[in-house]
Amino acid sequence: MDRVVECEHGEEMTALMSLALDHLLEEAERQALDRHLAACAFCRSEWVAMQQVSVVLEASPLVGPPLGFAVRVERRLEEQAKKQRQVFGGLALFTSSLSLAGMTVAAALMLVMGIVAWRWLDASPAVQQGTQAVSKVASGMGLVGKGASLFLGDLLLRYGAPLVVILGVGLVVLVGVWAWLFLKRPGNTRHNGFA
Amino acid sequence: MDQERAWIEQALEGDRTAFGHLVKAYERPVYNLTYRMLGNAAEAEDAAQETFLRAYKKLATYQPERKFVNWLLSIASHHCIDRLRRRNRAPQLSLDGPLPPEWTTSESPRPDQQVSQKQSREQVRRVLETLPADYRAAVVLRYWYGLSYREIATTMDTTESAIKSRLHRARRMMAQELQAA
Repeated sequence: MDRVVECEHGEEMTALMSLALDHLLEEAERQALDRHLAACAFCRSEWVAMQQVSVVLEASPLVGPPLGFAVRVERRLEEQAKKQRQVFGGLALFTSSLSLAGMTVAAALMLVMGIVAWRWLDASPAVQQGTQAVSKVASGMGLVGKGASLFLGDLLLRYGAPLVVILGVGLVVLVGVWAWLFLKRPGNTRHNGFA
Repeated sequence: MDQERAWIEQALEGDRTAFGHLVKAYERPVYNLTYRMLGNAAEAEDAAQETFLRAYKKLATYQPERKFVNWLLSIASHHCIDRLRRRNRAPQLSLDGPLPPEWTTSESPRPDQQVSQKQSREQVRRVLETLPADYRAAVVLRYWYGLSYREIATTMDTTESAIKSRLHRARRMMAQELQAA
């Protein structure tokens, strides 16, 4: 098709044409467009083409999916749920191992704190006097404790605060993970079984 | 509508059969959108399936004051826009590939009508292909679903003026494609 010289009002006029196709033009705008189209061959040609496109699109019907679409969606939903159950199973195993490790560390921490406390008590002269009566029984355990405290006690005294913070955070995270797993577990229908 | 609400509530409780009813009820509009956007039957099927999977996953976020079908179309259009952008090139439309069945009420067309219909379908795909993804979505929502500018804007998470602008530019581009053909 031969093209005439492009119109300097093209952008503005196309916007009006688009509104006209959607029946959204006000009367004054409609008259302005009509006047312009009567005078401008470029826009007239574009208006005809836009109307043609509109006719073709409006005549184009809805297309539907091949038969069995809903069944295929259901199958994919089932596959997704199965995968999720596997992921949750793996996560549960992993976190249970982690929590076991966490509990072990917590127990070790309590042991170390006990040893340090004992060492402090042992070093205090006032306490020494008061505990002499039971020292024979305690000294057996104390020998073991003292050996361990040489290493662990110093470690705790140097890095005690950050260690306690790290352990505390770790335990909070573990509790959080468990709570999340419990709430989002497959079969908990309040969340559709999906995260 | 009450039935639809009941299905949604049952699906929210984890009832996949109820969700299956929703899929059957809206598979045509969703598939049509993905097909018009992507121009390829196999990819359209995959995108339509993905739309329903996402809808199931996000069902708790659906707001009942909104039309359910429009909510689905919103998920589908965003998904198709993402796919088109990921292509990094113009979509490869298999014009010789099988065309999906069209939902017409008329009886089987005569051979000359079939030729004309096929030409028309190809013309539609060709003009849509010229458009950027977000323009294409606006055109599809306007022509096939008759959504207002406001509804399209809500569906596409944008403003009415943006939709107005996209539609007029899209129409101009399609007209130029038609004139060039």
